[in-house]
Amino acid sequence: MRNKLLDRLGPLFVVLAVTILRYLFPNKISFFTEIAIYTIYVMGNNMLYGYMGLVSFGQPFYLGVGGYATALFLAYVGHNPLIALLLGIVSGLLLGLVLGPSFIRLKSSYFALINAALCAIGVFIFERLLIDITRGNDGLWFRSNMTKLPILDIRLPQNFFIFVVIVLFLALFVYRHIDRSALGTMFRSMQNNEEKLRFIGFDTFKVKWVGFTLAACFSTFAGSLYAINFGFVNPSLGENSRAVEVIVATLLGGSGTVYGPFFGAFAFLGIKDIVSRWITRWELVVGILTIIVLFRFSKGIWGTLKEYLLRAQRRM
Amino acid sequence: MTERDRKTLLQVEHIDVSYDKLKVIFDVSLSIDEGEVVVLVGRNGAGKTTLFRTIAGFLKTDNGAVRYKEEEINQYKAFEVAQKGIRYIHQDKHVFSTLTVRENLELGSHANRNTEWGPVFEYFPKIETLLDRRAGNLSGGERQMLLIARALLGKPYLILMDEPTEGLAPHIITDLTKSFKKINETTTLFIIEQNLPLTSQIANRVYCMREGRIVAEIGSVEEIKKISFEKYL
Repeated sequence: MRNKLLDRLGPLFVVLAVTILRYLFPNKISFFTEIAIYTIYVMGNNMLYGYMGLVSFGQPFYLGVGGYATALFLAYVGHNPLIALLLGIVSGLLLGLVLGPSFIRLKSSYFALINAALCAIGVFIFERLLIDITRGNDGLWFRSNMTKLPILDIRLPQNFFIFVVIVLFLALFVYRHIDRSALGTMFRSMQNNEEKLRFIGFDTFKVKWVGFTLAACFSTFAGSLYAINFGFVNPSLGENSRAVEVIVATLLGGSGTVYGPFFGAFAFLGIKDIVSRWITRWELVVGILTIIVLFRFSKGIWGTLKEYLLRAQRRM
Repeated sequence: MTERDRKTLLQVEHIDVSYDKLKVIFDVSLSIDEGEVVVLVGRNGAGKTTLFRTIAGFLKTDNGAVRYKEEEINQYKAFEVAQKGIRYIHQDKHVFSTLTVRENLELGSHANRNTEWGPVFEYFPKIETLLDRRAGNLSGGERQMLLIARALLGKPYLILMDEPTEGLAPHIITDLTKSFKKINETTTLFIIEQNLPLTSQIANRVYCMREGRIVAEIGSVEEIKKISFEKYL
């Protein structure tokens, strides 16, 4: 009973932790805002890799599409950031529905590579092909076009933090619900043995398609939030050189878990933030840490922490 | 159910099956009636598993037809065959090891829209005590019970079991044999089995397979009890 209650309150604990830290370190507001957004981004990759065992080297593409969907709307069409965010999710839905059927037929390494190729194509589209509307590397600025929301003016960083924390809570709530549902069990069993899932009577193609689409939606939504946070987008948001980052964050946090993405985002951005003050190539430290985590704590931060907590609980 | 009441549930008619250009099943025909326990015996490489995988929809036939309840099912995909009421339990005893026993059963429930676990626990009471255990930590016998339990959800008409007792301890085989008899009261069983004494205890009919062909069909209980079909292997 107590465990169930704690489990249900998990999303609340996460947002409380972020909120408390933000007030403990008031000059780090942009860092904590980014952690909340990056968590949603990692959640998308975690759904693919952690749950279904599909490695994608193209997640920045989805992030970029979400960012540009929001930015283009706010720059040329409307002013309401909520509609712009909704467009970000819709862009993920469309990507999932259109690309899904062909991508999910591919086996693991091909799936990873086709996504990497897509990422390169995406950068070309954002940077060159649509330069007249995306303004290429100069970026697309739109902050002044945004109107404030009825209750909250999310153009202000402190208010946007509150907004993002509420969004993170909802995202975690939905994610937790998926994890505990039959769909979540199907995703996890897919990684275990897809063929056996078909023996039971599941159309694994549809299950994968749903997972792929959900993952795309989480990623594009994170892209939309990034766009609104910065007030502009440029092609670097979708660069494939950043594709490994989200995989590392997923591994660090603990793949295939609900709260792993939060810990992964926190650890990854935290290390990047601290180490980059002293070393230009901060990736070196992240790389070494990833190797240590993979060999010593293969379940990631949350997976290992959860194990210790369960052991302590059994002793009590 | 009397012999006369029995209807044909599954009919395999002159099928050939190949892996690319390599033909492994040659002109195989057989039939399974409702309520039977039919055992398929044969040496390794005889084509038994290939035949099961073909019936379950994982392999397509080159020629011939597989009919289930008089409907041709060759064209169906594996998950559609399962949804029609044919369950296939693979010989590797592979459960979803990272999931709990409960989650494994939930998958079966969800696939077949059947949440009644009571009858399944009647066959395998032990499973009810293991619900929160990770399926990867189960013993071979427990895994087999879980696989059969999961297959039984949704009340299938026919279960294909590929060497269900392979590698299990004798006392577990005895327990499973009793369960097979109980399950057979409501479900037809088609089993691949290398254990000939066990075959003689449970089978109503035996098909012998050799080098991709059915070489004998034994329907006499006396013949089966005497394990006279051994000569065809």
